Amino acid sequence: MSNILEIQQLSKSYRSVKAIKNLSIHIDPGQAFGLLGPNGSGKTTTLSILTGILRQDTGTYSWFGETPSPGQRTRIGSLIETPHFYPYLNLEKNLRIICTIKNIGFDDIELVLKETRLFERRKSRFKTLSLGMKQRLGIAAALLGDPRVLVLDEPTNGLDPEGIAEVRETIIEQVERGKTLILASHILSEVEKICSHVAILKNGDLLAAGSVKEILTEEEVVEFSSSDNAKLLRLLEENNVVTEARKENGVLVALLQPGMKIGDLNTFAFGNGVVIDHLVSRKKSLEAQFLELVKE
Amino acid sequence: MQVKKLIRIEQVKILNYIPFQILLGLYVVAIVLGLVIYPLIDKQIPVISLSDLFRFPDVWSFMTWITEPYNILLALIVIMITTNEFSNHTFKTQVIFGLGRRELLTQKIVLIFLLAALATILIGLTSVLLGLTHSYKITPGIMVENIWKLLPYFLSSVTYMIIGLFIALLVKNTAMSILSFIGFRTFVEPVLFLIFREKEIRWFFPMRANTQLTPLPDLIEIFQRKMNSAEPVDPSSLDILPKGLPLWANALLVTGYVAIIIFFSYRIMDRKRLS
Repeated sequence: MSNILEIQQLSKSYRSVKAIKNLSIHIDPGQAFGLLGPNGSGKTTTLSILTGILRQDTGTYSWFGETPSPGQRTRIGSLIETPHFYPYLNLEKNLRIICTIKNIGFDDIELVLKETRLFERRKSRFKTLSLGMKQRLGIAAALLGDPRVLVLDEPTNGLDPEGIAEVRETIIEQVERGKTLILASHILSEVEKICSHVAILKNGDLLAAGSVKEILTEEEVVEFSSSDNAKLLRLLEENNVVTEARKENGVLVALLQPGMKIGDLNTFAFGNGVVIDHLVSRKKSLEAQFLELVKE
Repeated sequence: MQVKKLIRIEQVKILNYIPFQILLGLYVVAIVLGLVIYPLIDKQIPVISLSDLFRFPDVWSFMTWITEPYNILLALIVIMITTNEFSNHTFKTQVIFGLGRRELLTQKIVLIFLLAALATILIGLTSVLLGLTHSYKITPGIMVENIWKLLPYFLSSVTYMIIGLFIALLVKNTAMSILSFIGFRTFVEPVLFLIFREKEIRWFFPMRANTQLTPLPDLIEIFQRKMNSAEPVDPSSLDILPKGLPLWANALLVTGYVAIIIFFSYRIMDRKRLS
């Protein structure tokens, strides 16, 4: 099988608002794919289309190389937005309904309830659960039947820090067991911790897509000056020590080329007869990069 | 197999749903109370004997006629469980985990047919009970002579619930759906019926056509039969009440309505936002 999911030119509008525009993504087996973007960037809309809740205006998608069909979704474990179950049914009965839909036995119920620490509450009605527990039940339901693919939309929403850590651990475990994961999140660190690949969305546009390493590398910005800034800059740029240099308040600001360290810059300048009188590293955090990406 | 699966899903949902238990309980209680109360009423009316209506084969016409409004309770059940799926967003959940939109609707339609079958069986059993306790002469032939009246009752029951389902799909909100259904059944159609009292079209209104499936038993004919009058009165001279369409035409008309409503329900389901 070539890939798990292929999205081509997907678009969806709500009246005048374009939720996603010509989105194309493809996801290979075993990838942990993050959909990263601020609120309202089209993440949930995308996942809702992929799970059959919404219909796209134009474009196509295919799961497992097949045209979409309801039965296909029995092989995918999904949690879209907040989980919705029958409030008057207990957890076990709610999960029985899901098992029946997925054409699987009830044996998995105990397993997933224990996995999400809800086993003790299995006889409680869904409406009596706290927000965090409801969220965990949503994850439990997604895990039913050990599906090959997990589609999780903001799975740590509404959880306390301990809950967040646990859920992340569960997800990472699933990924390590070879599952393909599609994770929507507005929390950069979450995507960074869990995902191998990422697509960044903003206002329905795909800003960037690729491996997390490629897209979200930590770049080092340096601030420096010398008695002859012009010469220094020419030297550094010609020899591929820095790029994207600019002047800022009388000092030079530039990006260190990959593999270069701040000391290398100093050594290089000194070796070429330029004495640097000011040299500061301004590490650009991932958060800053992400914000920059979505700001433009 | 798919239908069996849909029934299994629906079964978990409704058997544990307290309003369902209450409404179904009310339905059964109404029938049982009927069994107790009709004979009591009869004792207070000296001249006309209602118990004639409890005898085979007339009990079939009587029971299907008098229990026809009970179907409103069944329609309310269907409205509540359907609008609940919208307000709990559980239609969405079922789609996410692998049901098609059309299957969501098929679930409810299958449920409607099952409930109608259950109701028909209950009415059938009650009729047998009344018949056995009130008939002077019981032969298998007389017992089953009018048993076919259960068929239009079944159709009528399905129609009530299908109309309820359709309103629930359109309106989505529980309270508004119930109001619309009751308003349509008890106000809108009766008023239209009055407005069009001179026109034949009034017999074609869906609720009216539906109630005509289980019409008021032909009392005059029944009493005449009882009196053993050698010379039957000319039926046309007694035709004070307008009768509407013949039963077969009515059944055809109502089946047509049900088919149209089911068709449009699937169309709506294809497009409807699920929450």
